[in-house]
Amino acid sequence: MVSLDEILFGIVSIPVVIVLSLFLEGIDRKANARMQRRIGPPVIQPFYDVLKLLRKSYIVPVTAAPYIFILAPILAALCAISSTLIVIANIVLKTHMYADLMIVIYLMAMPSLMKVFGGSSSGNPYAAIGASRMMTMIVAYKLPLLVSMIPAAIKGGSTLSISDIVQAQTQKGVCYALSYPSTALAAVSFLLCIPAEAGVVPFDIPEAKTEIIHGTLIEYGGPYLALFRIAKSTIVLTLVLLASALFFYSDLSLIWGQAEYGFYINSALVFIVAVAIMLLTITVPRTIFARLKTGQALRFFWIIPLGLGLFGSLLSSTGM
Amino acid sequence: MKGERTTEPEYSRMTIPFGPVHPALKEPVHLAVAVRREEVVDVDIRLGHVHRAVEALAETRNLVQNIHLTEKVCGICSHCHPTCFTQAIEEIGDIQVPERAVFLRTLIAELERIHSHLLWMGVLAYEMGFDTLFMYCWRIREGIMDLNEMITGNRIAKAMNTIGGVRWNLNVPTERIRRVLKDVEQSTQYINRVLEDKTAKKRLLGIGVLSRDDAIRLCTVGPVARGSGIKTDVRKDDPYAAYGELRDSFSVIVRSSGDVLSRAEVRILETLESVHMIDALLERLPDGPISQSGNVLALMRKIPRGEAISRVEAPRGELFHYVRTNGNSGVERLKIRAPSLANLASLKPMLVGNEIADIPLVVASIDPCISCAERVTVVNTETNKTHIVDVAHLRRSKKQNGQP
Repeated sequence: MVSLDEILFGIVSIPVVIVLSLFLEGIDRKANARMQRRIGPPVIQPFYDVLKLLRKSYIVPVTAAPYIFILAPILAALCAISSTLIVIANIVLKTHMYADLMIVIYLMAMPSLMKVFGGSSSGNPYAAIGASRMMTMIVAYKLPLLVSMIPAAIKGGSTLSISDIVQAQTQKGVCYALSYPSTALAAVSFLLCIPAEAGVVPFDIPEAKTEIIHGTLIEYGGPYLALFRIAKSTIVLTLVLLASALFFYSDLSLIWGQAEYGFYINSALVFIVAVAIMLLTITVPRTIFARLKTGQALRFFWIIPLGLGLFGSLLSSTGM
Repeated sequence: MKGERTTEPEYSRMTIPFGPVHPALKEPVHLAVAVRREEVVDVDIRLGHVHRAVEALAETRNLVQNIHLTEKVCGICSHCHPTCFTQAIEEIGDIQVPERAVFLRTLIAELERIHSHLLWMGVLAYEMGFDTLFMYCWRIREGIMDLNEMITGNRIAKAMNTIGGVRWNLNVPTERIRRVLKDVEQSTQYINRVLEDKTAKKRLLGIGVLSRDDAIRLCTVGPVARGSGIKTDVRKDDPYAAYGELRDSFSVIVRSSGDVLSRAEVRILETLESVHMIDALLERLPDGPISQSGNVLALMRKIPRGEAISRVEAPRGELFHYVRTNGNSGVERLKIRAPSLANLASLKPMLVGNEIADIPLVVASIDPCISCAERVTVVNTETNKTHIVDVAHLRRSKKQNGQP
């Protein structure tokens, strides 16, 4: 039976997730600007952007397949938001679901796939190139991303549930990034995949502004573009929260004792760590690197993150 | 079997339009790029989107007005064009320019080269998705722009030249200029170090190669030619302004590999050379008048009928003006050959064989300034075909159209 709390959570959480993710994007943009010695936009600039886009009119190109073209951004945003919801529910509500890690992985893949579908259906040559690049990138970073979760899953007691992994870290007392060599390697591998999944420089190859004019998104405008924007920033939120929960979850009850509100402190800590991870894996790379080419990115992901992830998995299977 | 290999199916080739409106190209040029997957197989360069009829306009104005008209040919080279034009006029009128004026012209020309190269470096960084370097470059450039404003009163359109001299004397203390230049020098060396970094090298090394033979065959000029191993620089080869006296204070930067990285290096090192040259120039700056005594309009009326050519090394390469005066303080014919026009043809050998991802970098690497290079194009709206016309053709079509 679904309780009232759960229904309320469902209603309230979707706007909360959108607001949180846009706020995170605002922090990223501000930090990036400060690193470039600019003043930068206000932290709430992404809200203005999305609200303005939502109010604008939209065009469906005559060359497009209209249903796929319109459905793609809606599905992308819905899947991205629900992936964030699952992660947040695991951390805040301690919901226990079997194999929700798998669901999150699939839901996180949806925005990229929807960009491929939407882009290819638009009939624009730039979008076609963007779609083919996006496919290459998915092949490049999805495998390391998956492999990097294996050690955490094995150490968490051979489970595919996020809350089990969080629970295991609480019992261990130290977060996984510091406890075992295998999970430490996996954490590095996961962090290296975050900029690609988030689609920022140096891995914004499918949307390269100066090369293929935003690639798959070229024909999108107005509310549909806003949906893709929301999808992009919620995926970032999912990624950093997932990284924070899987590899950096530390229980502070050891320091404060079993305080009544210790649980809230722990949850808040997950978010603070998530912001730190975002600054480290998204803001810093996009400030200090130039955009790579598809072949270079593929080579990078299949050598370093995949190598680290596989090595970590091997170590974890031997018990290290 | 052999035939199967050589014929490629039509659908494997895709033509993507690149410009005239494209976020990577700030200049309105249209490149019809034929690609196979990500590889560029053919390029068709089309100009004609911003023709402004500057040459025809010049024929309707007097010489002093034309100095300001030539200034408007290009925003970035807004000192090179008037310098080139006034040099031609001074040659026709046999006017001796005061020593100090010549040095001040050189000072502004070198400041312009520094700011143009820094601007270009920022654009290149932007094209490769390196926004931080872009922001840094343009930040350094601001110091030079401030100097421009302090010396001439304007950041871009400096209006420095007049017939027989310059319009503004140097009122800024030389220490101030030296301080800015020192800052620029340090920052430029920093950019140079960034270019040696792996992330930038990955995008620039071996991209858009223009061989030395191609560079000679296609008559490239400026940093594009120098990046391909041709030692050409009007400042050294045919010194104008004060470059003859400053001959020993700068060297011509030449790189032989001919790729985007070598063109970037040429421009960065040239910026440093310019900084050193301005240092030497400020030391040797002579005293004296900066322009001819008397009204410039009176001077203009004395310019006889005659013709002259003038060459200037603009930041993008050799700039060429041909001027024929009518002896009645007007211009009978003005011909401007901007450096971008000479360099545009070299885009084709540079682009073919590269990836789509390299197109913006390669196009930016010649630093195109399309609006300076525009010539007449006729577009047939029915067939959508365009062709460049020459003067003889224009005369013929005028007659055919039933005009007397």
